[in-house]
Amino acid sequence: MILEEVVEFLKKVPPFQFLEDTELKKIAAGVSMEYYPSGSTILYQEGPASEYLRVIKKGGVKVFIRSADNEEVVIDYRGEGDVFGLLSMVKGDRSIANVIAVEDTISYLIDKQTILALLDTHPSVTEFFLKSFLNKYIDKTYKEMHNKSLLYGGGDKLLFTTPIGELSNRKVITAPNDITIKEASEIMSKHKIGSLVLVTTEGVPVGIVTNRDFRDKVVSKGRQVTDSVTSIMSSSLIKAEARDYCFEALLKMLRYNIHHVLVVDEGKLKGIITNHDLMMLQGISPISIVKELESQQTIEGLIPVSKKINKIVSLLLKEGAKASNITRIISEINDRLVKKIIDITERELGKPPVNYCWIVFGSEGRKEQTFKTDQDNAIIYDDTDTKEEAEKAKVYFSVFASHIRDGLLKCGFPLCPANYMATNPQWCQPLKVWKKYFSNWVSEPVQDSILKSLIFFDFRPLYGEISFAEKLRDHLIIILKDQKVFLGYLANVIIKNMPPVGFLKSFVVEKSGEHKDMLNLKIKGVSMLVDIVRLFSLERGIRETSTLERLNVLKNSHTTAKEYAEEIEHAFEFIMLLRIQHQLEQIQSGSDPDNFIDPKKLSNLEKKTMKEAFHLVSKIQDSIIERYKSLIW
Amino acid sequence: MKIKRTPIIEADYVVVDTELTGLDEKKDSIVSIAAIKMIGGRISLEDKFYRLVNPETELKKESVLIHGITHSEVSKKPGIKKVLSEFSEFCSDNIIVGHFLAIDMSFINRDMKKFFGTTIKNPGIDTYLLYRCLRKKFPEQKCLADLLKDSGLYKIAKCFDIQITDMHNAIKDAFITAQIFQRFMPLLRESEIETTDVLLKIGDYSKGADKYSQSEESCNF
Repeated sequence: MILEEVVEFLKKVPPFQFLEDTELKKIAAGVSMEYYPSGSTILYQEGPASEYLRVIKKGGVKVFIRSADNEEVVIDYRGEGDVFGLLSMVKGDRSIANVIAVEDTISYLIDKQTILALLDTHPSVTEFFLKSFLNKYIDKTYKEMHNKSLLYGGGDKLLFTTPIGELSNRKVITAPNDITIKEASEIMSKHKIGSLVLVTTEGVPVGIVTNRDFRDKVVSKGRQVTDSVTSIMSSSLIKAEARDYCFEALLKMLRYNIHHVLVVDEGKLKGIITNHDLMMLQGISPISIVKELESQQTIEGLIPVSKKINKIVSLLLKEGAKASNITRIISEINDRLVKKIIDITERELGKPPVNYCWIVFGSEGRKEQTFKTDQDNAIIYDDTDTKEEAEKAKVYFSVFASHIRDGLLKCGFPLCPANYMATNPQWCQPLKVWKKYFSNWVSEPVQDSILKSLIFFDFRPLYGEISFAEKLRDHLIIILKDQKVFLGYLANVIIKNMPPVGFLKSFVVEKSGEHKDMLNLKIKGVSMLVDIVRLFSLERGIRETSTLERLNVLKNSHTTAKEYAEEIEHAFEFIMLLRIQHQLEQIQSGSDPDNFIDPKKLSNLEKKTMKEAFHLVSKIQDSIIERYKSLIW
Repeated sequence: MKIKRTPIIEADYVVVDTELTGLDEKKDSIVSIAAIKMIGGRISLEDKFYRLVNPETELKKESVLIHGITHSEVSKKPGIKKVLSEFSEFCSDNIIVGHFLAIDMSFINRDMKKFFGTTIKNPGIDTYLLYRCLRKKFPEQKCLADLLKDSGLYKIAKCFDIQITDMHNAIKDAFITAQIFQRFMPLLRESEIETTDVLLKIGDYSKGADKYSQSEESCNF
């Protein structure tokens, strides 16, 4: 009766839902149940390993680690139907992360033996757990490596699709198993290796000797060096099949806490695979795309490479990367792509008559791009002395900009519907004109100029004479000093976009039209936070353009930002991630990405976090209203 | 049985519930006994005991309406003697836990005496007594304070957001009681009630039977 409930529950939860009823009944029979009030710690990092896999029946938990400098790194939030404690349970070592209940939480506990048996007998279960868990873990360790070296090999391969055999081309030094201890040690000295694999005449590995064996079993025991090497070898070899996918090797490494696994093909030794090999495999994609971009000489050559960029998002998501990391990597790659297009165009058209700077703004300017977004770009060129020069520059950059626009379009960047592009003569101007634009917008804040400043003030240089953009930034900072009226207009825009906080049980969603009952994650989400942080930055004359970088600087100079910095960051990461996941799903199902999500489909934890984000925006809006009291209408 | 001083979160418990033909100890009898084990705060869903009993007395109409067990269902079941011997073995030396446990134990021990000349002497905790004590400790905790009028099992369960499926089924009720006890554990800890000897001081059913009717609440330990 009670167990039926467990079975019914597990039937809805991957990977258990893939199992037969009889199997589920067996699992349910061993299940126990625990309750953790909100705020209590369930597993401690470095604490004893978990003896159980916990499946959340109700509530939610936060999984996080503390770095060496005591910084909290959130790995994941898990909610109903999610599991935790798998890795430390399988490893049987220490617990890898802290797990803390963020709501009153009930979980079912499935004991270690049951799970290990499932992993051994059900590949679907193994694959599921590895996909959802190990990547997140690997990601953390891999990141450390990633920081050190950006240069590893090419190819677009993954842990779950690459057979072990493909990675294990490393040659292993072996010796026949009928040699003596002395002969074995001579081979090891000659090759300067610390261990030696012994194989039969058929090439089947039967044992391994290590330096330690010579110390512990030969020297200290006074054994004859003329004895057979088999008398000191250890025969428990950890092996993996060459045809299995790489995650099998990874699982073995984790389970036995080792760094190498021997690879065998039909029983015969084929090579060795190391932890390092697997890390490399994980790290390949973004780098290989950049390399591929760099090697292209034509726009046509860039097109197929640019199509791969979306795949990186899915890869990074799988690896559990934070939204800000995903957008940074994507922006970096997109930047390279744009630079390459400009490069190629410059070569085709010949050198420009004067120096110029290619700037980008909007989400591109903030380095917050996910999937291909509209082109938002402009050209600032050098101030010219004569009319003739000016005319020459105008003609050149007009052709130049249209070439680049077409190249970007071919590589998947749609045109800007509002025509904020360098092809628009208005946005292809010498520096002095740009300065005038900015001055006018700030001194005459009508609706149109407010709208433009929201978009253009997030500009950043991407190519060419960077100093032009810097000079424009200097100019902006100067003209904004004590421009309380202009900032007041921006404040009004911000507080008009009210977060849907009044509704505790449901969100305020679109009331009609195609997206009825949907939540717009851009307008009622990302933009609210971006606009707030932009206002603070303009108040303080901050040069940074990305929301999180701005926050980081503001923390030291802006009272409101200081108070809410951490919460804003958390909310921003969360909403961005939700949006990325949503758009990726749409792309994968073949539809165009949009910003509309169905609030009903959010998990309880997601809803809760979303509501907290809205409350946060609301609180900050109150403080903005307070500060701009006299200017709010 | 001697009361050991064990941390509450490590002790072994057996959570018990019975269904009866009525509340009159002289006339009524046990219809079913259920028990489920807990190791500290962990409910072992597989480690449970559930027996329907062939009652000595005729099932009363009113009680059939409550627990839904009919005469034909129990007539072929074993008698109370056999069930009790299995039950006492199941309890081992665990601490017994139940809601209004004194009532269950009075029926169980009445029959234990009759058939075996002895009683079940395991220490026992009444979740109702724990609840009364916790209510005083946490007057601001809504799910505790709201229950002044009705301290029944389902009312408490509801307030703690515990799922109630079949009412008045002994095994389900034992499961609900176990979950209530589970919810109480963090609160006990917060009140610095951390070991079983202190737990028994406030929750011992054998001392609490008369407390049910007392209007003055006490919570001394």
